[in-house]
Amino acid sequence: MFEFSILIFIPLLSAVVCYFITNIRLQFSVTLFVSALHLIFSLMIFIGWYQPELPFYFSTDSLSKLFLPVLSNVYFWVVLVSFSYLKKQTTANSEEGKKYYFLLLNFYLFANTAAILSNHFGMYWVAVEGTTLSVAPLIYYYRNEEALEAMWKYLFLVSIGIAFAFIGILFLTLSANGTLLEGKQLFFPEFVKHASELNPVWLKASFIFIFVGLSTKIGIAPMHSADVDATSNSPSPIAALMSGSLRVTALLGVMRIFQIVQPTSTYQFAKTILIIGGLLSLFVAFVFMFKVNNYKRMLAYSSIEHLGIITLGIGIGGLAFVGAMYHVIYNSLNKIVLFFTAGNIHRKYKTREVEGVSSVLNILPWSGWLIMISFLSISAIPPFGIFFSELMIFEGILFSNKPWILAVTMFLLLFIFINMGKTLFQMLYKKNEGEIILIKKERFEIIHFATIVLLMLLIAIAVISPNILHDNIVNISKDFGIKL
Amino acid sequence: MQNVLSILFCLSLFYLSVTSRVKAYVTILRFQGLLLTVLLVFPFIHHFSIFALILPATLFIVKVIVIPRYINKIILDLDIKRVIEPTIQPFTFLLLVIFSMVVVFVASNILSKSADIETIPFASGFTAIVVGIFVIIFRKKLIIHVAGFLVLENGIFLFGTAVASELPMMIELGTLLDIFVVVFLMGIAINKISSTLAGFDVTVLGRLKD
Repeated sequence: MFEFSILIFIPLLSAVVCYFITNIRLQFSVTLFVSALHLIFSLMIFIGWYQPELPFYFSTDSLSKLFLPVLSNVYFWVVLVSFSYLKKQTTANSEEGKKYYFLLLNFYLFANTAAILSNHFGMYWVAVEGTTLSVAPLIYYYRNEEALEAMWKYLFLVSIGIAFAFIGILFLTLSANGTLLEGKQLFFPEFVKHASELNPVWLKASFIFIFVGLSTKIGIAPMHSADVDATSNSPSPIAALMSGSLRVTALLGVMRIFQIVQPTSTYQFAKTILIIGGLLSLFVAFVFMFKVNNYKRMLAYSSIEHLGIITLGIGIGGLAFVGAMYHVIYNSLNKIVLFFTAGNIHRKYKTREVEGVSSVLNILPWSGWLIMISFLSISAIPPFGIFFSELMIFEGILFSNKPWILAVTMFLLLFIFINMGKTLFQMLYKKNEGEIILIKKERFEIIHFATIVLLMLLIAIAVISPNILHDNIVNISKDFGIKL
Repeated sequence: MQNVLSILFCLSLFYLSVTSRVKAYVTILRFQGLLLTVLLVFPFIHHFSIFALILPATLFIVKVIVIPRYINKIILDLDIKRVIEPTIQPFTFLLLVIFSMVVVFVASNILSKSADIETIPFASGFTAIVVGIFVIIFRKKLIIHVAGFLVLENGIFLFGTAVASELPMMIELGTLLDIFVVVFLMGIAINKISSTLAGFDVTVLGRLKD
């Protein structure tokens, strides 16, 4: 019960405490303490120093052991920079949004941890809906018209999406009719064990509903629109939280059902659906990158692109699956960096439009250089981690039975890279006519520190490639029946 | 009994498709909540236990009392006009509902041969899911969208009882709580939308585009 308290109960308690404390600094200190504790514990569980014994409906396996530190890490950095972010007011009404900021963050950690550690579809569903409920008010932090619209769309569309996932879960119960699983409730491990006995028709329906439903949250095209609006209009730490951890938690649900489908005749069908979803997301990112004029929206499309690559990798299987698991980690780290630096630019220029931003390298040298480096990193330039994970995914695709997918992917990625680079370099170097820039030194802040550490982490994980991480990913692959 | 309740549920969907009053939607939600409560209580009539009443009682409180009252309050507070603003004729909408109901019932009948499902509740639940989506698509008012979402959720609930779902009570209570909070947040959002954007329908939401 001890580990359960640390990981799930304390965040909830901390949310309650934040409700009663009015001082933002104190709220921040409590939340930061909880996030550090959560991070330490997740890492201990991941490394294997600690074997948690969780109560009913919760357990750990290789997959949750990998996803838990991803969440803790994103959450820790987001909380760390939040205070300095909140101190500087961006819009007139954002003062009101501060009141419940840390409360909602704590509730988010509670719900998301419960979702990752759950071993029951029902519990997973309740927890994932809980994450939507905690994030939606955070999207409305700026209290302006765009944020309101984004919050409404996110809340509404994702709730409907999750309702669809629930129908999928009910179909899964139907597929277990007449098998050993009947009457045994919806525990993942039981379903994985007896997957071959499930009724294929209902299983297929279940996969489609769960995949389409959760796509609204993962941001897989064509269900991505609410996600893009929400990510681009929320404050940068929240956008980082959504891109780095929330989408991944929703992906976990899809992976759970994919694991169940794996030994059945529905496997090929599920793989095809994942590949189509991945390619479609890449295509959507490709198209919108041509006309994007809002840099935060551009980053939101970049999230869609990378989740698309991950889905594609999972769908292809083999080495691409291993690459996709690495990509989950690297993408989450990289998205924090990108959104943090973009947040700095937004704070200075007070606009998200690319047109309104110029000479970033002169005006905000720290943020400017850091966003440039993180752009290189997200574009898979070595020695950053994304290069290695994408290489693995590409190799996996090349040696699969559908090598043509590699050509399509490379083509789409090339144009995404060019267009993203064009937009970003315009912001960094463009000088407006007659503009006189007084070169000022940008103050080194906690956000810059976080960004530099995370960028170094992106290189370190890739270069050192810790055995423990590799073994864990190999274990996940084994759980998914992948022979390497 | 389950079949009778399901058919009553379907009738409420017909009423929903022809009515043009906002208030009627709230009444329908109440009625559907009541039907679902009876559906849950019914199996326990012969072996009564307090424990078995927790879920139906919570369902009753959430779906029959709290949510309809909350929606009524929003309608009154914001002085939302009493008529829904449809984007298609009520008759066309009714035809659409009947057509989808027929398709769902025929499909369920075919499916029931290969799986152990109760055809009528299964099909009624699925029809409600489809009708809920139609309501969201073909109505302009945001508050009606919330009602459509709730019809969809009611459909899923009915559908869940038809597939003899084995969700434990704690999870069922969790889902009810989630739905309540979603509606609560949507209510707050509608309030804000009406004050910030001066309107209650989807036409005011057009700022975010590529």
